[in-house]
Amino acid sequence: MEMNIWLFLVLSLGVSGLVRVAPLGSERQRILASLLVLLAFMCWAPFVLDNFRLIQMTRIATLGLALLGLNILTGYNGQVSLGHGAFVLMGAYTVAVLLDRNEQLNLIDATPWPFWATIFVAGFLAAAAGLVIGVPALRLSGPYLAIATLAVMISMPIIVRKYGTFTGGSQGLGFSRPPPPPFLEDLLRREQWLYFLCLLALVVMTFLAWNLLRGQFGRSLQAVRDSEVAAAAMGIHVARVKVLAFVISAFYAGVAGALLALISGIVNPETVDIVQSINYLAGIVIGGLASIMGSLIGAAAIVFIPSDAASELAKLPFLDANMLRRAPGAIQGAVVIVVMLLMPYGVAGAAHRLLRLRPERALARWREAPALARGALQRASWAWDLRPRSAGQGPGQNRPQGEVVSHGEGGKATDPEGDLTKGGQ
Amino acid sequence: MEGLLAGLPGAMPVFLAPAPWEDWSLFGEQIVLGLLTGALYALVALAIVLIYRSTDIINFAQSEMAMFGTFAMWSIWLSGVPLFSNPWMLLVLAGLFGLGMGAVVERVVIRPVEGKPVLTIVVVTLGLFLLLNSVATWIWAQGELPKVFPSPLSVLESIKVGFATIPEHRLLIFAVGAAAMVLLGLLFNYTKLGLAMRATAQNPLAAQLMGINVGNMLTVGWALSGALGGIAGALIAPVVTLHPAFMLPVILYAFSAAVLGGLNSVPGAVVGGFIIGVGENLLATYTPRAIFGPEMSLPLALMLLVVILLVRPTGLLGERTVRKV
Repeated sequence: MEMNIWLFLVLSLGVSGLVRVAPLGSERQRILASLLVLLAFMCWAPFVLDNFRLIQMTRIATLGLALLGLNILTGYNGQVSLGHGAFVLMGAYTVAVLLDRNEQLNLIDATPWPFWATIFVAGFLAAAAGLVIGVPALRLSGPYLAIATLAVMISMPIIVRKYGTFTGGSQGLGFSRPPPPPFLEDLLRREQWLYFLCLLALVVMTFLAWNLLRGQFGRSLQAVRDSEVAAAAMGIHVARVKVLAFVISAFYAGVAGALLALISGIVNPETVDIVQSINYLAGIVIGGLASIMGSLIGAAAIVFIPSDAASELAKLPFLDANMLRRAPGAIQGAVVIVVMLLMPYGVAGAAHRLLRLRPERALARWREAPALARGALQRASWAWDLRPRSAGQGPGQNRPQGEVVSHGEGGKATDPEGDLTKGGQ
Repeated sequence: MEGLLAGLPGAMPVFLAPAPWEDWSLFGEQIVLGLLTGALYALVALAIVLIYRSTDIINFAQSEMAMFGTFAMWSIWLSGVPLFSNPWMLLVLAGLFGLGMGAVVERVVIRPVEGKPVLTIVVVTLGLFLLLNSVATWIWAQGELPKVFPSPLSVLESIKVGFATIPEHRLLIFAVGAAAMVLLGLLFNYTKLGLAMRATAQNPLAAQLMGINVGNMLTVGWALSGALGGIAGALIAPVVTLHPAFMLPVILYAFSAAVLGGLNSVPGAVVGGFIIGVGENLLATYTPRAIFGPEMSLPLALMLLVVILLVRPTGLLGERTVRKV
């Protein structure tokens, strides 16, 4: 049985969304239930999607981790990094070198590491690199930090190519992707197994991130982002928080890189290029800054826009399919700019506002509409001088007393903009 | 730059060069060549500084705007209209195209996010980067033929000036770059428009109270910056193969140059450009190729950039700004 991925996504998101807004249980229970439903759907995914879509979903899971890390740094802590691809690349190369070590300079001709151990090594190595970059980054802010991290990202592939004895140069390193463990061999194909591996990593690390960000540390991150001076005055160790944000976010990126390497079985300098690294930032902006869900939405956007948006748009009569397929970034760039102009909090922010929308208030606004319309008509009729009146009488004197009062009240009570915007923030 | 200019004879030393004290003329030649390339970096750095001074924005799409303009000029050149087949005319057109493009970008894309957080603006210029890069790939990067951009002077022939042998095209880069800088200096220092622009950069509110249309000045700043970028693109295009990423190394050297000189200093950008140009040439010539060599000059320039940002964030000539809380 195979299912169209869009049908699948609409189904899973729709059902979990319904559970989320269902009038049952407490808010907490509903959130938990909807997440469990979503997880159940995601576990069902490898059995109903075809291979291409399954690999895409696996990529979304790994990219989701990278974007989550970047969001911790950029969205929550306000440090703009264009160089997160460098950490991802580092994680990927760590895995490749550790799994492929027989060919590496004859360093140690022992058996390769077990693949699960390399994921942790990749994460911690990237975290160490994050420390090395995070400390000098303390001195930089805003666009300066963006330039510096861009510089790191640009240099990385050049350095990898230059010192190719260790990294395989332009060709990169290849290794065999890990097969499913013996007790799952009969149940899962290799792609399905890798999907579940990435899903597990995503669930565990998303939970950790959520746990970290909802508490004191998460609040410190955001306080530092909003005003360093105010945060310091509240007793937050600004430097420590900023460096920790870099380290944690690099750890996530390193793990993401490791998984990316494991699912593709080859690592070269083009695994993560500069455009990809910029895409990460674009992804969290599209998905929503300072939002865990936003990171995952952004990852989906990064994967699906190049593969699908181009061919879907090409069905429009005035666009040429081949031309559009060559330029997925055009759509991506346009989406980024439009999202930035229209939805500054990204898709997740827009969804959040939608969730907070109170239908009864919106209705109350409409209930006043007839009265408003009547008032407007009346004023228009005065303005056009349609009513008969004696000489010397201004339009004001003609106004029925009661209506003025009710009109004034209605005008105030039905100022829904303020209410809605307050409720939605 | 050595990587970019790989097609030029004599530009790429195959062996380790003799030390300066053994061959002074080679050393001098490398300095001169570096200065000539530096003019290009100075031009692009100036484009970056021009925008940063007036709006506090670093335009990450600068390179792609220049690239886009250069490709457009290439199409115009191919169109076969006699007037446009003159390379000099093309250079002028590149500047005009950049001028228009800068103004349009400021009005359409940047104006709506003015005053928003840094991240928003950075992301918008990056979105523009992706968009332009991709549209150029879409329109122009389909054929496999190497795309050649015309130069008013010969790319291959060199002239001998004293001890140095200089390719003619590099002289052109220097001459046009220097002319653009001088014109810009005159504009800023001796015209009413320049005065208004400086006032806007220094204190937008006060400038507005003095009757200056600040919005228009910002547009003019972006337009001038676009023109500088466009000219730089048309200058470098004849010596590289035209492809959608050809401006990327140039803009990175220019970033280094701008930061080295101080992001809010116009003379700083020029000085920084020349220093980066000379430093790059010397590095490519006098370091052992096994460790560094020409292809490492970009990472080293970027490392220099990071080091400057850490040690002296205002650059050599930049002014220190006081931030209010």
